[in-house]
Amino acid sequence: MPERQPSQRSSSGGAEALAASSRAAGQAASAAPPPPQADSQQFSTDDPRILLDRQIGVPLYEPIPPYPTRTEREGEFYTLGDGEMFLNVGPHHPATHGVLRLVVKLSGEQVVDVDPVLGYLHRGVEKICENSDYYHVIDQVDPLEYTSSLFQEWAAVLAFEKLMDVQVPRRAEYIRVLSAELLRISSHTLYMGFLALDLGGLTPILYSFIERDEIVEMLAALTGARMLFNYFRIGGVNGDLNHEFMSRLGDWMSRAAKQTEANAGLLNENEIFVRRTRGMGVMDREMALRYGVTGGNLRASGVPFDLRRAHPYSVYPELDFNIPTRQEGDSLARYLIRVDEIRESIKIIDQCLHNMPDGPVMARLPRLLRPRPGRAWGACEGPRGMLGVYAISDGSDQPFRFRIHDPSFVNLETVPALLPGNLLADTMAIVSSLDPVMGGIDK
Amino acid sequence: MDRNLKGRLEARLGAHLKAPVYQRGDETEIRIEPGSVPEVLTVLHDSVDMRFEILADLAGVDTGEVMQVVYHLWSTMTPDWLRIVADGISRDDPRCPSATFLWTGAEWLEREAYDMFGIVFEGNRDLRRIFMPPDYTSFPLRKDFLLPDDAARSPGSGVRHVERAHVPADLADDPSGGIRRAPVS
Repeated sequence: MPERQPSQRSSSGGAEALAASSRAAGQAASAAPPPPQADSQQFSTDDPRILLDRQIGVPLYEPIPPYPTRTEREGEFYTLGDGEMFLNVGPHHPATHGVLRLVVKLSGEQVVDVDPVLGYLHRGVEKICENSDYYHVIDQVDPLEYTSSLFQEWAAVLAFEKLMDVQVPRRAEYIRVLSAELLRISSHTLYMGFLALDLGGLTPILYSFIERDEIVEMLAALTGARMLFNYFRIGGVNGDLNHEFMSRLGDWMSRAAKQTEANAGLLNENEIFVRRTRGMGVMDREMALRYGVTGGNLRASGVPFDLRRAHPYSVYPELDFNIPTRQEGDSLARYLIRVDEIRESIKIIDQCLHNMPDGPVMARLPRLLRPRPGRAWGACEGPRGMLGVYAISDGSDQPFRFRIHDPSFVNLETVPALLPGNLLADTMAIVSSLDPVMGGIDK
Repeated sequence: MDRNLKGRLEARLGAHLKAPVYQRGDETEIRIEPGSVPEVLTVLHDSVDMRFEILADLAGVDTGEVMQVVYHLWSTMTPDWLRIVADGISRDDPRCPSATFLWTGAEWLEREAYDMFGIVFEGNRDLRRIFMPPDYTSFPLRKDFLLPDDAARSPGSGVRHVERAHVPADLADDPSGGIRRAPVS
């Protein structure tokens, strides 16, 4: 039996501390019968070990909020049961896809409860948009979902076009679909890589970035920017297709399908990957609907809800593609849905290139937009689910209210329900199978 | 625009509607009292001829005079979006029943509306701030919360402090300083 068990209160070291404490517990069990609740007083502030830590200047991690608990749920969460401990995952953690902090309540190595703490990236986009004019909103919403910013722009311009009754030229609609589907492929490819990375596989992310970089360079030729495109406009798009974009796209399309199969083959037939995702984080149909989950996560639970078909916008009714659906609702199904969607997106891009009409790419609009008072809700299907914008106009040149609904926000909300019962090592695998992007969640 | 949905809504919810059903484009809007939110949402969610199963969004709105809570729902039975506006929530003591008994996912959306507008959702078991720090006291998306640096409104001259440009005489003693814009109907 070791003289000094590692204090659970000062376990800021994360997994190492956890492993040390479980090793210590194992030795104690094999060497001698466990002492009768030696640690039952460890959370009182006059614990001599903690005082010693403070005297020698060890930074003390304080998981319990220093303020009175605000709600019933918070009080319940921050009260430790017998043999439980807190572990702070994030906010700076290589596997959290941004600045996400999860306070995990552990019993041994098993997750008992999770309290996600948000707001580290909050910059008040809605307030900024309410104080900038209609044209400026588009570049303000770009950094929200930074891996798929065209979709965020699309939701905003959809709402504004409904507000102003603008008719978008058909060529502009086709260019929108073309560029957005390219970005969907890029985002899903990145998802495949990061999911594997969180499970400990380093190879797929490298191939994902090769694929993504080609798409990003292509879109840079079209829009002028690599990530924050600022390309969609109210009433059209910023520029017509150009030669460099088309030649890069043709080059990429000639091997896109094959490359996708190769990337997916790295994981689909990988036994470790399949074993660590099959049956993990199962979300059934009722739970997904009750939480308002959308996108691939909902379709992996058997609900064929895709706004491109469920509530058609743009030129999607003219295009021929399927909505892949699966019944299992586990991490593997969520991954396979993304792979299927990449295949469908390649089909859509092919049709766009064949059906691309001629004509202008912008509707004629005044320089200063003052829509008449009214309300509009525009929603489009992003790679992570439904991106919605609710805009209210009061007749001035700035939106009176600009509400952004982000799919990752709702998808992340299921984490406290999905994680309990799983091992700590699977926490990040399940979270990343939901594909959250913290820029959009924190707004 | 789904005329049929309008008839169904009027038949089912006639007593709860504060204003006639409003339709524009692919949106149908109904306006209700905040007190009738639970009954209305339950009827919309459970009726066999409506089945609004997906809560697309829940947003708070501050019109400058009252608060609103706006729900967007989606159903397979209609091509329209349904918008429910719980109108007439007092700005001084904003309260609205929670929707978490139907959609667990409304919990965080309500936390966000509470964080940004201070609307208290009665029945939400976890109503605390979600983005702003716990010791924060303001509600940033309210219309009387002014940005100290409102560069977008300043005429190219850089940063200004809280804007108090022209205060009409009848608003001189108004705490908002006359910044209030026209109320939204």
